[in-house]
Amino acid sequence: MKTSWKKITSLLLPGILALGMLSAGCGGGKSSGSGGKTINIALHQDPPKLDPMMSTAFVDRMVFQSVFDKLVDLDSKGNIVPMLAEKWEISPDGKKYTFHLRKGVKFHDGTEFNAEAVKFNLERYKQKKSNRRNELKAVTAVKVIDPYTVELDLDVPYAPLLANLTDRAGMMCSPTAVKKDEDKFLNHPVGTGPYAFKERSKGNRIVLVKNKDYWKKDSPKADTLVYKIMTDGNVALVNLKSGQVDMINRFPLNEVKKSQNEQSFAVINEPSPGFKGIVLNTANEKFKDKRVRQAIDKALDRNAIVSVALSGVGTPAHSALSKSSWAYDEALDKAPAQDIEGAKKLLAEAGKAEGFSFTIQTDTDPISQQVCQVIQKQLKTINIDMQIQKMDFGTLLDRGKKGDFEAATISWSGRMDPDGNLYDWFHTGTSMNYMKYSNPAVDELLEKARGLTDQNQRKGMYQQIMAQLSEDEPYIFLYHDNNVFGLSKKIEGFVPNPDGMIRTVDMMKK
Amino acid sequence: MVEFPERRSMLSIFIRRYCSNRQAILGAVIVGLLLLAALCAPLLTQYDPVYDQDYSAVLASPGGTHIFGTDDLGRDTFTRLVYGSRLTAAAAILPVAFAFCVGVPIGLYSGYKGGFIDQWIITRIVDALQAFPSMVLALALAAMLGGGFMNAMLAIGIGFLPAFIRITRAQVIQIKNLEYVQAARSIGCSDLRIAVVHILPNVMPTLLVQITLAMASAIISEAGLSYIGLGASPEQPSWGSMLRTAQSYLGTQPWVAFFPGLSISIVVLGFNLMGDGLRRALDPKIKD
Repeated sequence: MKTSWKKITSLLLPGILALGMLSAGCGGGKSSGSGGKTINIALHQDPPKLDPMMSTAFVDRMVFQSVFDKLVDLDSKGNIVPMLAEKWEISPDGKKYTFHLRKGVKFHDGTEFNAEAVKFNLERYKQKKSNRRNELKAVTAVKVIDPYTVELDLDVPYAPLLANLTDRAGMMCSPTAVKKDEDKFLNHPVGTGPYAFKERSKGNRIVLVKNKDYWKKDSPKADTLVYKIMTDGNVALVNLKSGQVDMINRFPLNEVKKSQNEQSFAVINEPSPGFKGIVLNTANEKFKDKRVRQAIDKALDRNAIVSVALSGVGTPAHSALSKSSWAYDEALDKAPAQDIEGAKKLLAEAGKAEGFSFTIQTDTDPISQQVCQVIQKQLKTINIDMQIQKMDFGTLLDRGKKGDFEAATISWSGRMDPDGNLYDWFHTGTSMNYMKYSNPAVDELLEKARGLTDQNQRKGMYQQIMAQLSEDEPYIFLYHDNNVFGLSKKIEGFVPNPDGMIRTVDMMKK
Repeated sequence: MVEFPERRSMLSIFIRRYCSNRQAILGAVIVGLLLLAALCAPLLTQYDPVYDQDYSAVLASPGGTHIFGTDDLGRDTFTRLVYGSRLTAAAAILPVAFAFCVGVPIGLYSGYKGGFIDQWIITRIVDALQAFPSMVLALALAAMLGGGFMNAMLAIGIGFLPAFIRITRAQVIQIKNLEYVQAARSIGCSDLRIAVVHILPNVMPTLLVQITLAMASAIISEAGLSYIGLGASPEQPSWGSMLRTAQSYLGTQPWVAFFPGLSISIVVLGFNLMGDGLRRALDPKIKD
């Protein structure tokens, strides 16, 4: 019969839809690199920009850990330790930092690493077009004292500086390569790190090779390092099970419990320094009244959200700082129990006893959508009708910046210094203050806290700030997520770090 | 075109011919069941498709109180399928209605008038639109218009336009020189009257087939768009987005994907069988 083919196709198409992901998993099955000394790591996204100056994505930083060294690094306990700077001094007034650099370090292109290179990089990061500008804002001058000594002058004391230098702002790029062709550098980074960039194929893989002249003795341990892009967590997991990759950076949360006793790989589950939640646009008529925001906060059952959407892998939260921070305060972070009556009362006081409706904008990540649907149900109990509008992440951020939204799920991957989780989010007019929140008392505390060097004094101030934020509720904190890795038992030498980055330098394949 | 002596016998001949085809009956039954489910959804199930989230029964297997199991938020899959039939029925009807209402007048005009506008504007635009596979076109349009069910409907509808314009135009060109049209013209009927009263009814049988086949393809497109996140909003029980959610559990809880996938397959098959039956029943070249 003529039409039988059409019928067969009609039957097959939905099946193909459902099974499409499996074939995606089988693609690119060719083993890469040479022999057994290749470590393959699956990343959940293709890193958009491989230049630390331009980078804005979390996943870029994963690759940077292998290509670049930083002036200082973080150890597994979150302490700041030497890297390209062997030691440093801070003047008593906190306005002068002197770094003594490691000698005999070379960039992958042969350029020598020295004080001039540091000056070049930091000044580059301070340019107007740089996304690192804010992290180094306090630095007014970079002075070369001798070939291996650099001095940073600050206009005001700025405690988070060292923590910032453990990340992108402290990464050293080869001045020769940057000067030669800055646009090309974006896709061909040159640093001093344990692995040198070899090639990338967009959306597929990034290949790095061993830096034979690496300054750290007997490191790195593998010949080739390949980052494979696998946007679907289940596909990555299948590849980990079959040995196509040795490590995955976003382990599917619903598989965590089942995988505890796996023979071939381990699940590494560490609290991240970030926070997840809902931005409420306080400039919007609907959320102007603080009591409305408090009512939403009270109506939520965070335990249900974490247990359903995250399969229990995460911590219900009520503040911007997680356990991984030294300024963490358990009492402030404890999620309050759901209180429907209290929420209704607050809504009534705000003149919205009848409830109201609003639209939340969210990205296409399945977890964001689960979270939104659970919240949608919980808010219905206090007569709030929440519509879910999904869009790609770029559009979401764009609208967030423009203030073109009522509520949105925008989260933060977290920084090691508490200032990095608070200042740019909650100070009036800062870059991530999508809420349009402004409280002079909070502004003053934020400014004061970053100028102090005494950790205890700072901790007290951050606690005050967080207490005020739980009163004002511009941002509804929901939970702290975990960094969950899957690691093949063939890999040795991986140590989780509180910043959630995979440091490959000491990783070795059996 | 065969001219039937009486209106009534034309219908009865059509019904007799349609009913002599068992596959066509099956198709009509499936489509009928879909419409019935869409109409009577609240009577068929005790749960709410969005708000009845039972966190103690997340991803439950089929059987017991949840005959098709539950999804990632503990919602009853059967309930969501039943309510989802409303979206599926809407997905079958809306884009096709759009393509029909816009495409047929354009095709009529283009085919009847001919000339520069027909040859150089409408035909060229249709050719250009047709260069894209309809799913790719729908994807691009949905991405441009932004997510949401209605935008997806519009995108799919625009994707169908070329087919409707072309088929109407081709039929009109064939019919417009037949004697009865010339007769109508010679007694002074207006162009509009000739096009609508004399030509359109004779184009309808062909269009009817196109409509049912387009409905099948619209359901697949909606499922596809929802699957990649450009269709219905996440809480809406669209079969496509149910499939998308189920993808994460394909390795461990395959039944979550099984039922929406099966439903889409059956309904699309139903529309195709019906379209096929209609074509055979309406085609004068096929003898009983």
